[in-house]
Amino acid sequence: MNRIFSAIIVFCCSASVFGQSLTVSVTSNEGEPIPGAVIEILLPDELKSAYGETTSNQVDQIDKEFVPTITTAVAGSQISFPNSDDILHHVYSFSPAKTFNIPLYGRRENNDFVETFETPGVVEIGCNIHDWMLAYIYIGETSLVAISDDSGIAQLDSLPEGEFELSIWHPRLAESSGSTQTITVTGTASLDLQIELELVRDRRVRRAPSANRNRYR
Amino acid sequence: MTTTNPVIGFSSFRSRLISFLLALLIPVLGGIFYYVNSNNEEYTEETINTYLELGAAVFDDTREQQAATLITVFNSLTWDFGFRTAYAANDPATLFDAALNVLDRSLESGDMIMIVDLELNVVVDTELQGFVALEGGWKELVDRADLSEDGIAEAILTIEDNPYQVIALPLYLPRQVAWIIGGFALDSDFVTEVKDTVVSDLSIVRLSNDSSLEVIESTLPDDQRELLAEQLIVSPQVFNSLQRIDFIEEEFTTLLRPLFGSANDPVQIIAVIQRSYDENNENVVQSRQLLIQFYALIIVISLIAVIFLARSISNPLTRLATIVQRIEKGDYDMQADIRSRDELGTLADSVNSMAVGLAEKEKVRDLLGKVVSHEIAEELLNNPIELGGEERDITIVFSDIRGFTSFCEGLPPRQVLEELNKVLSTISDIIEAHSGVVDKYQGDAVMALFGAPIKGENDARNAMNAAIEIIAALGKMDGMLSACVGVNTGLVVAGNLGSENRLNYSVIGDTVNLSARLESLTRHYGVTNIVSEASKNAAPEFDYREIDEVRVAGKQESVRIYELIAKPESITKAEREELDWYADALQSYRHKSWLVAEEKFSELSKSCEYKTLYQVFLDRITYFKNNQPAEDWTGIFTFGKK
Repeated sequence: MNRIFSAIIVFCCSASVFGQSLTVSVTSNEGEPIPGAVIEILLPDELKSAYGETTSNQVDQIDKEFVPTITTAVAGSQISFPNSDDILHHVYSFSPAKTFNIPLYGRRENNDFVETFETPGVVEIGCNIHDWMLAYIYIGETSLVAISDDSGIAQLDSLPEGEFELSIWHPRLAESSGSTQTITVTGTASLDLQIELELVRDRRVRRAPSANRNRYR
Repeated sequence: MTTTNPVIGFSSFRSRLISFLLALLIPVLGGIFYYVNSNNEEYTEETINTYLELGAAVFDDTREQQAATLITVFNSLTWDFGFRTAYAANDPATLFDAALNVLDRSLESGDMIMIVDLELNVVVDTELQGFVALEGGWKELVDRADLSEDGIAEAILTIEDNPYQVIALPLYLPRQVAWIIGGFALDSDFVTEVKDTVVSDLSIVRLSNDSSLEVIESTLPDDQRELLAEQLIVSPQVFNSLQRIDFIEEEFTTLLRPLFGSANDPVQIIAVIQRSYDENNENVVQSRQLLIQFYALIIVISLIAVIFLARSISNPLTRLATIVQRIEKGDYDMQADIRSRDELGTLADSVNSMAVGLAEKEKVRDLLGKVVSHEIAEELLNNPIELGGEERDITIVFSDIRGFTSFCEGLPPRQVLEELNKVLSTISDIIEAHSGVVDKYQGDAVMALFGAPIKGENDARNAMNAAIEIIAALGKMDGMLSACVGVNTGLVVAGNLGSENRLNYSVIGDTVNLSARLESLTRHYGVTNIVSEASKNAAPEFDYREIDEVRVAGKQESVRIYELIAKPESITKAEREELDWYADALQSYRHKSWLVAEEKFSELSKSCEYKTLYQVFLDRITYFKNNQPAEDWTGIFTFGKK
C-alpha cells in the first residue's frame, strides 16, 4: 500500500512565548478538509511529565457502532467500553499497543470494566459479533494530541517553546508510516500549520443492510 | 442364323435387365443414402457441439461454483475468533496448524491455504512451496484482489505444475492485516464431478513452453490419455474449434477451454471437454446400417424379381429360338408349347403357325420338285404366281430316244416304264448338271430349257454340252438306243400356263416348235443332232457342220441347220476331208451344179459314214435334174409337212 504523506508548514509568525497554540488544518490534495486525523507533538522526555496527566475515557457501543470511532488518550489512561445496546458485544483488540478481550457482555454489565492503555500507539478494537464495528484508540505519549474536526482543524494549546517532532496519523494512513514533521515553537505568535494528506482507499468490512435490524426476531 | 450383338454387349436378356435395374437403383438409392446420411451426420455434429458447449459451460460453472464455495467457506472460517487470535499470536507454527484446521473444516472445498501479510510476505503455506514473498501469478492474484471492491480475486495457478483454482480474500483483525489465499485442486475428483454432470469426459492438460502436452487429470482411461496427448492440438487459433481425436476403438470430439493462470506463466492449463463421437453417432450408424440392410433387401428382392421376370421372358424365348432353329433346319414338326396370353404366347402361336405353314410349303416344294424341275419349283414358290409370262431369250434342247420302241418290244409295260424312267433320269441328270431345266417329258422325249426360269451366263454353251453328253450317254447305254437332239435358241414366252387352279410353268413360241422340228429332222438327215443357226451363233466356241438350209412346215422363213461336232479335237484327217468334201458338195448343190454335186455326194456316200445325209442330197439332185427349181432358188429346201 502506498502511503503518501505531505505537509506544508506555514509559519504565520514566530513567537517563543510559553503557552503558544498550534492550529493544524488537514486537507486532501484537493483542499477538502479531512476529519479524524490525529496530530501529536512528540516532546522530549524531560518535558513529558508536564503533559502526562492521564484521563478516564469511554468508548460506548451504540446501535452496533463504537462511539466515538477515534479516541485519544495519554499513555496510562483508562478507557471503559460500556454496552448501550440491547444485545451482547464482544470487544477485542489484537493491536500490539494493547491486546485485550472482553467476551460477550450486555447492557450495564461492564460499567466497571476498564482497560488501561500503557503503551503509546494505535489500538484497533472490534466486536467479534459485529465484524463491521471498528474503533481506533490513539494513545499518545503526552496530552499534546488532537483530532481534526469536521473542518479538518486540529487545535493544540499551551505548547512549550522549542523544536519538536509533529506526527500525524489517520486510519487511512499506514500504521507504520510514522510520518512526522519538525516544528519549531517560538515567541508569542500562534502557529498555524496546513497539512495535506493523500489518503488511500480503506479496506474494511461494510455494515450489511441486514445488520441494521435492531432486534433479533 | 445371324446373331446381332446389341450395342452394350449384353449376353442375355437377364443380364441386360439386371444391368438396367442396377443402373437405375444404385444411383437412386445412393442419392437417398447420401442425403440421409449427411443430414444425420450434420445433426450428430450439432448435437455434439451442443453437448460440448454445454460441457464447457458446466465446467466453467462448476469451477466458479466451487470457487464461490471456497470464498464463502474461507471467509467464514477466517473470521473465526480462534483463527484470528492465532494470527495475532504471531507464531508461525500455531498459525500453520490453524490454517490446516481451516482446511479440515472446509469440508474438502479447499485443498491448500496460504497466508500473506500486507507486505506480501508469506506467513503460512500449507503446500510448502518455499515462497518468502509472493511472486508471479500469486502476486498478480493478490494485486487484483487489492484493486477489487470487496478484496476478492480468483485465478487458476499451478502448484508443482498441478492446476489449482485459487481465491484471495482479506483477513480482518478487525482491519485487514493479511491476505488469505485458498485453493482446490482441479484433480480427478473435480473432473469426475464435472463428468457426472455433463456426461462428457473432461481432461485437464498442461502445455509447457516447449510445446509438450501432458494430461494432468482426465476421466479418460490411461491409454486414451496418451492418445489425447499425442493428437490434441493446443494453440489459441483452435480454442474455439472442435477437434477429432482417434481413440482407435472410437472417435472423440473435443472442445478446448483455456485456463491461463497468467500470461507470463511458463505453463498453461487447458481444460478439454470430450465427447465420444461414435457414441453420439450410434444412431446415425444404426440408421445407416438399417438403410444399407434395407437397400440390400430392396436390391435382392428386385434382382429376384428381375431374374424371375427375365426367366419368364427369356426361357420361352430360348425355347422359341431353339424351335425356330430346328424349324430352320427343316424340322417342321416342332411346336412351341408356350401357354401364355401375352405377346410371347402370340409369338409362340405365330411360330407354330409358321412351322405349319413352312411344313406345308415344304411339302409343296417337295412335290413340285418331283413334278417340275427344282428351279421351276423355286420360281413358282418364290414369285407370285400369275398367269402370263415374260419374254426370254433361251436355248431349248429337244431330245428323243431313237430305237426305244423296238427296244420295248416284248417287254411288259412295267419294265418298259422302268427302262424309260432310267433313261429319262440319265438325260434329266445331265440336263440339270449343266444348269438346264427339264420342262416336260413327252413320251420318250425330253424338252429342256437353258435360260429359264433362271437366266444363266452361258445358257447356249450349257445346252451344247448337255446335248453332247446326252448323245454320248445314250450311245453307251445300250446298242439299240441312241439319242437325237434338236437345239434352238430364241425368244420364247416363259411363265405359268394354264388356269387359275392348275398351272404349268413352261415356255411357248416358234423357238420351241422349231427345236422340236429340228429334233425330228435328225432322222431325215441321219444325224444325231441338229442345231439352228441361232444356237450356233450363241455358242460359237463349238465346231459345227452346216447341214442344209430349210424351210420347215408352216414357216416362211428359212433356217440354216448345223450338226454339232461332238469332239472337234478327235476328228481324224479322213473325217476332216469328208467334212470339206461335204461342204464343197453342198456348195455345188446350191449352185445347181447337179452333176458335180451328184458326183461329190456319191463319192461321199461310198466312202463315208453319213450315208443317209448324202443320200438325201442324191435323191434331191435326181429330182431337181428332172424338175429344175426356180431361177431364184438358193438351195433352200422346203418341208411340206411336219
